Amino acid sequence: MAIEYKKSLAVFTEFVGVEEAENLLQWLLKNPKGKINLATCEHIHAANLQVLMAIKPLVAAWPADEDLQRWLAVLEK
Amino acid sequence: MNALLEQFLSESRDFLQGIGEKLMQLESDPESIPLMTELFRFVHTLKGNSGLFDFPEMTRVLHASEDLMDAVRHGRVSYSQDLTDQLLDAMDFVGILMDEIETTGRIGNSHATNSVELTKSLRELLAAASTESEAHAATPHGISDIDHPSVDQVLEEFAAVEVDFANDTTASFGEPAFELNEVVAMELYRHATGGARVFWVEYIPEPECFFKGEDPFYLSRQVPAVLWHQSLLQKDIPSLAEMDVYSSQLVFQLLTIATQEELDDIFRYVPDQIQRIEIPALAFVVPFGSEHDDTIDDEFITRTVGFINDGNLERASHSIRTMLELSAPELWSSSLLRWAQLIIELEPDNALIQCALINQLRTHEPLDLVALTQDISSKSASVDSHLPNADLPHEHDEHEAINSEASHTDATLMASFYTVLTAQKNVLSVPASPWLAGRMKSVATTLIATYRATHQVDEIEHIEHALQQALADNTSQPLLAWIDKVLDSAPELSDIQEAAPIEMPIEQSTQEVSVATEEVILDPSSKFGRRVEDTSPHFGRRAEDTTTVVSKTLKVDQEKIDRLMNLIGEMVVAKNALPYLANRAETVFGVRDLSREIKAQYAVINRVAEEMQDTIMQVRMMPVSFIFQRFPRMVRDISRKLGKEVELVLEGESTEADKNIIEALSDPLIHIVRNSLDHGLESPEVRVAAGKNATGKLLIRATQESDRVLIEIIDDGRGINPNVIKQKAYEKGLIDESALERLSDEEAVNLVFAAGFSTADVISDLSGRGVGMDVVRSAVERINGTVGIESEVGKGTRLYLSLPLSMAVTNVMIIESNEQIFGVPMDMVVETVRVPRVQLSSIKQKQTTVLRGRIVPLLSLNELLALPQEQVPNEDDEFATLVVRVHGEHVGIVVDDFRETVDIILKPMSGILGGLGGFSGAALLGDGSVLMVLNPRELI
Repeated sequence: MAIEYKKSLAVFTEFVGVEEAENLLQWLLKNPKGKINLATCEHIHAANLQVLMAIKPLVAAWPADEDLQRWLAVLEK
Repeated sequence: MNALLEQFLSESRDFLQGIGEKLMQLESDPESIPLMTELFRFVHTLKGNSGLFDFPEMTRVLHASEDLMDAVRHGRVSYSQDLTDQLLDAMDFVGILMDEIETTGRIGNSHATNSVELTKSLRELLAAASTESEAHAATPHGISDIDHPSVDQVLEEFAAVEVDFANDTTASFGEPAFELNEVVAMELYRHATGGARVFWVEYIPEPECFFKGEDPFYLSRQVPAVLWHQSLLQKDIPSLAEMDVYSSQLVFQLLTIATQEELDDIFRYVPDQIQRIEIPALAFVVPFGSEHDDTIDDEFITRTVGFINDGNLERASHSIRTMLELSAPELWSSSLLRWAQLIIELEPDNALIQCALINQLRTHEPLDLVALTQDISSKSASVDSHLPNADLPHEHDEHEAINSEASHTDATLMASFYTVLTAQKNVLSVPASPWLAGRMKSVATTLIATYRATHQVDEIEHIEHALQQALADNTSQPLLAWIDKVLDSAPELSDIQEAAPIEMPIEQSTQEVSVATEEVILDPSSKFGRRVEDTSPHFGRRAEDTTTVVSKTLKVDQEKIDRLMNLIGEMVVAKNALPYLANRAETVFGVRDLSREIKAQYAVINRVAEEMQDTIMQVRMMPVSFIFQRFPRMVRDISRKLGKEVELVLEGESTEADKNIIEALSDPLIHIVRNSLDHGLESPEVRVAAGKNATGKLLIRATQESDRVLIEIIDDGRGINPNVIKQKAYEKGLIDESALERLSDEEAVNLVFAAGFSTADVISDLSGRGVGMDVVRSAVERINGTVGIESEVGKGTRLYLSLPLSMAVTNVMIIESNEQIFGVPMDMVVETVRVPRVQLSSIKQKQTTVLRGRIVPLLSLNELLALPQEQVPNEDDEFATLVVRVHGEHVGIVVDDFRETVDIILKPMSGILGGLGGFSGAALLGDGSVLMVLNPRELI
């Protein structure tokens, strides 16, 4: 399970594959205040990146992986 | 190299040859539609095949060629000489790639650029034509221009950089635009002046890239030595609800000091989606900070410029330092002064830029340093008009430098050496920033370069070690500690500076650097102007091409091989005539010596003929993988359909047999495998209930046993219950009641091969029609093979096929009966015995005898052939009995006498005789007589 959806939090773990993108978009549309937790995420597929960049949800926890964190800095509002 | 690749290479060479020929023919007959169509087909197939492998460079060129050919074929593009040239070029390129694949197994990175250029020129031909017809579907799209831009373009783009900075960068693609902070910008500048090439890379993945299994983000993250990066969306997404998540809108931009090769390698699949532009050092020199309330008095500016123009860099530097101490560090002017200091340090010779920068304090006008340098160097005479204070004291300076160089070299060198170290230390001392890893790497690179330049090679190892440690701990501490250690052990810096007055241009260490920088700036045509007419790539072809690679495989029509096979057959027969001749020479003509010589000669010819036969048979050999390779897919499909879990194991795929055997084996094997899946292996639930692994195992193994191939199909399924088989066979009237009692379990299991037998109660589309195993058996027997089955209830079933390696030559035993000779295939003969009349006994009016404790029924050949004569015993009243194996049972055939065994070429009977079941064929003997070969299976 690459993304675990909780009430208002989507927890990303390890490698989040391309197939998650559609669900992620739907979840973010349904939960406009939903936050994302990237703490244990190592990589997200570009399709997910695109969704995150388009919506810019609040980031509850940044990735521990520094390289990824740097790339995702674009999500900071 | 695997077999598939080998085949691809050999086929592709044929295609290339074909394409070349067709292109030549087209030249003389440009209107020919069939030629055109065939040409298209060749290119199309070749492209398709190349797609099976990991050769993007090749596929790309072929794809463009295919599009072009398609356009030509449909008359959208008219045929021209130029087009032929381009296509031939493309094919030569493909040929070169193939040579490389053949020798190294892969395509080198160096071809990526050529591949893109070729593709581009092919697309251009297409585009030129399709601008006329707008609706043309094959118009190239997404092919961005990654050629190095012209000088003007570059300059224009850098002018744009400034604007972008001012406008806080809204996404504008295709031009270098980056938002840096001073630390990163200075670092990039250091690299660029230090000889590294800084590339700006923009990667715009094509919208449908997600469907191709690409992850552009992952790719971007693979780029090494990145000093700055960002990801963007091409445009704002208007309605999130309608957003297509699988259509990429992403743009990745980064600045890296990775080498061109590294970049080419990373983006080798998408070279048409990236732009790579080298950024000159001065493009990074942009002061940051707020410009408000910046008042630097004119006096300072004039004084500093004066110092610079006098070549007194130390004083200039000192004056800047003092000014910096007085101003707030976040001011724009402070940033500018820091830059000025850095440039004085790294490019002490570049007084022009130094002055221009300082002068900017007065004008506050954005300055295009790159363009400035370009401008000045092109017309150095008019320097003054641009920069009132820039009185370049070049000659004077150089003169002085040469005079004092000798005495000061060492001291100067050491001074600059420590300057470099201190600078690197400063870089590292910047508080933790996101690009720490990249920074540490770059520092280490600089240090190593410095040490190499000063011939202190031993230290390089220590630096690398420190870097490794720093990277591992993710802190710059180890590197800093190392630099400190070196600096501490150094003599006081000021001492050195005293010994080598800093106004001496630091020739030794900076000469190379400034030369390198100049090259980048002053001669951009050599770097960027790649698409100059003369340098367009040519791929050695045409007649002067001397190093043609000769293909090692030969494709031969099977008919020719068959003819060769027949000829060697006749040769064997002719050879067999020699012993007869020798015999006649001795008995009829009484020349014993001649007879011996003929026999000696025969031995030689025999040896050669046998070798020849062997070799020709080798030619016809094929590995069983030819039929095995379809099983994985088949097993997967069927097991899915049946809801079973099956693990297929293939063994001995390289075992070889004659092509005819392999081909004839294909259908029976499919049948058997299907049967195993359907009847043999149980569903996962049943298996688990029986205490077995849920996944069934199906093993198909081929082995060679002397002159036969053994193929086994083993499953660990439910096995065959012999009682059920017996019952079924009895119900269907295949066996009588007595057989029901008598049959052993093994015999019963083998009843599945009987015609019309089926155990399945329900007919499915897989099996159960009762035309199963008997068809398998007859197909196998047709190629002189045997088939058998062993099974254990609950444990599994083993089905085995034994086949001859080759059908070409048959080894037969000649027997005599009723004063005629007949042949019996040796592979059926178990033994030959002479049975004394006394040992014959009658059971139910049938002759039998006991051999090795086993009852063997005896049949008289004359009786089988409906000849009225009795079999003739020998002088000791013993009957010559040939024990043959028929369907797993031993049967004795009583004949008159045995003769020798011979190798013959068995010719099946044709015409009316073809209907005679008792004979499997006829062969010509050495003495010219015809030998009828019996088929005991049918006979009995």
